[in-house]
Amino acid sequence: MRLSTPGSAWAERRPVAATAGAASPLRWLPRPVARSPLALVALGLVAAWVVAAFSAPVLAPHLPLAQDIVHRLSPPSRDHWLGTDPLGRDVLSRILYGARLSIPVGAAAVVLAGGLGIALGGAAGFMGGIIDETIMRITDLMLAFPTVILAMVITAALGAGIQNAVLAIMVAWWPSYARLERGLVLAVRQREFVEAARVLGASRLRIALRHVLPATISPIVILGTLDVGHAILTFASLSFLGLGPPPQIPEWGSMIAAGRNYLNQWWIATFPGLAILSLVLAFNVVGDSLRDLLDPRLRRV
Amino acid sequence: MSLWRYLGRRVLLLAPMLVGITLLTFLLSHAVPADPVTAYLGPQASGDPQVIAAFRHRWGLDRPLPEQYGIYLWNLARGDMGVSISTRQPVMVDLKQHLPATIELATAAMLVSLLVSIPLGMLSAVRRDTMLDQLARIGSLIGVSTPIFWLGIVAIVLFYAYLGWAPSPGRLSMEIPPPPPVTGFVVVDAVLARRLDVAADALRHLALPALVLSSYSVGVVTRMMRGSMLEVLGEEYVRTARAKGLATWAVVVRHAARNSLIPVVTVIGLSFGGLLSGAVVTETVFAWPGLGSYAFHSATALDFPAIMGVGLVVATIYILVNLVVDIAYAFVDPRIRVG
Repeated sequence: MRLSTPGSAWAERRPVAATAGAASPLRWLPRPVARSPLALVALGLVAAWVVAAFSAPVLAPHLPLAQDIVHRLSPPSRDHWLGTDPLGRDVLSRILYGARLSIPVGAAAVVLAGGLGIALGGAAGFMGGIIDETIMRITDLMLAFPTVILAMVITAALGAGIQNAVLAIMVAWWPSYARLERGLVLAVRQREFVEAARVLGASRLRIALRHVLPATISPIVILGTLDVGHAILTFASLSFLGLGPPPQIPEWGSMIAAGRNYLNQWWIATFPGLAILSLVLAFNVVGDSLRDLLDPRLRRV
Repeated sequence: MSLWRYLGRRVLLLAPMLVGITLLTFLLSHAVPADPVTAYLGPQASGDPQVIAAFRHRWGLDRPLPEQYGIYLWNLARGDMGVSISTRQPVMVDLKQHLPATIELATAAMLVSLLVSIPLGMLSAVRRDTMLDQLARIGSLIGVSTPIFWLGIVAIVLFYAYLGWAPSPGRLSMEIPPPPPVTGFVVVDAVLARRLDVAADALRHLALPALVLSSYSVGVVTRMMRGSMLEVLGEEYVRTARAKGLATWAVVVRHAARNSLIPVVTVIGLSFGGLLSGAVVTETVFAWPGLGSYAFHSATALDFPAIMGVGLVVATIYILVNLVVDIAYAFVDPRIRVG
C-alpha cells in the first residue's frame, strides 16, 4: 500500500486538476503567476501591447506621420479618438506605432546589458585573481553613478539617436548583471558536477561554457524580465530629454515632450504617458509575481 | 571585526573610489566620438582650421590624453574644475549655484517618501492580504512604473493650469525677491532673513515638484518596508511577544518595527541615486534651477568640463550618502560587522 505523504497526495491530485480543465490552459505558467488574477491581467496587458506593436499598421486609424493641419490640436473625437498633436497628427496612431519602438528597444537594451554583464561577471568569477579584482572595481565605479545621469552623459557624447540610447542604457546597466553573474558563478563552481567535469579532464573553457554558465542563466533571465519595464522607462526619459530618436518618429517620451508646451491640450502628453505607465506597470506586476516564486523568504511567512 | 576597524576600512576605500570616479568621468567625456570643438564654435567657425587649432590649444585639447588627465587631477586638487564652455563661468561656481536647489528638492522628496512609505509599508504587512495591502501593493508598483517627467507635466496641467492650486514653476513667485543667499537653500535663507512669508512661498513652490519626485522612492521604500516587516513578523521573538498576551499594536510598535527598519536604512541610501536621476527630469519640467537642469543643459551642449563636474559631484554625493548609510547600518545592526 502506498503511504499517504503530503507530497504524494499532491502528486496524485495534480492530474485530476488537469482533467478538470479549469486551470489547464494556464498550466505552462509559473504557479504564482497562474494563481494571481492581478498577474494574469498584467500578462494579458503585456501580450496586448505586443500584439498592438505587431499590428499597428492595421489597427492605427491614421498614418503616424499624416498631418491633418485643419484639425490640429483637436480634442479627442470620433475621428481622432485620442485627439491630435500640434501638427495635426493622430495621437492614438502615434501611440500604437510607438509600441513598435519601445518594446524592442527595452528588450534589446536588457539583452545587451545582460550579455555584457554575463561575459564580464562570468570572467571575473571564473578566473578570479587580478582579473576579478579589476572587473569588480570597475563595476563598483559604474554603480556609483545614478543610471539616468550616466546614460544621459553617454547619449549626449555619442549623439542623440535610438542606437546610442540603447548603447547608453547597456553601458549604465551591465554592472548589476555582472555582479549577479559573478556571485552565481562563485556558488556554482563549488558544486559537485563541476568538480566531476574537472576530474573527467574537461578544459577550463569547456567547464565554464558547458557546465557553469548554463547553471547561472535562470536568475539572470528573471532579473532581465524585471528590467524590461525599467528599460522602457529609461528610454522614454532619454527621448523626453531630446536624446532619443528625432521628433518626427513616433516615440512615447518625445510625444510627451512635444505636449508639455500645450497645457490646455492635455491629451497630447497625457495619453502617451498612460501608454508607458500601463506597459511598464504590467511588466512590473509580472516580474513581481515571478520574484515571489523565487524568493523563498517570502514564502515562509 | 570591530566597529572601528570596519569604519576605518570603509573610509580608506573611499580615496581610491574617488580617484576612480575622476578617471571614469574623464574617460567618458574624452573617449567619445563627438567633438566639443564643433559643438562650441558652431558650423561656421569650425570650418576654419586656424580657429580650431587655437581653440584646442586654449582648452588644452591638443595634448595627449594622460597629460590632460594629469592636468585635470592637479587642477581638481586645487579646487579648479575648469571653465564651463557654455556659461563661461568656472564649473565650481556653477555647481555651487545649482547644488543647493537639488539638495533642497531631493531632501524634501525623501522626507515625503519616508513619511508616507514607512507607515504604509508597516500597515500593509500587518494587515497582509487585506484590501488595504492589495491597494498599497498596486499603489507602490504604480509609483515605480510612472514616468516622473509625465507625472510632473500632468501635475502642472491639473494643479496649476486647471485648478490654480499650485504656484507657477520655479523656486519663488516672480514678484518676491529671493532672500540674501547664505546657505543657498531658499527656505532656510528666508527663515534666516526673518521673512516667513518668503519661506512659505518657497515651500509652496517646493511642494509639487517634491511630491512628484517622491513617487518613485515611495514605491521602492513601501515595498521594502512591507517585505522587511513581514519577515520580522515571522520571527520567533514576535511570536513569543504575542504569546505573552501583548496587544497587536504593542508587538508591532515595540518589537517588530525597530528591527524591520534596519534593512530599510540601506534602501534609503540606494534610492537616493534614483532621486538624483529623477531630479534631472523633474527639474527640467518644473524649471527648477538645480544640478539636474544644469546636467541636462551641459550634456546637450557637449560642455565637457561641466559634465565632468556634475558627474564627479553626483557620484561623490552618492558614495558619501551610501557610506553614511552603511556606517549607520553597522551601528544599529551588530551582525553586519561579522561579514
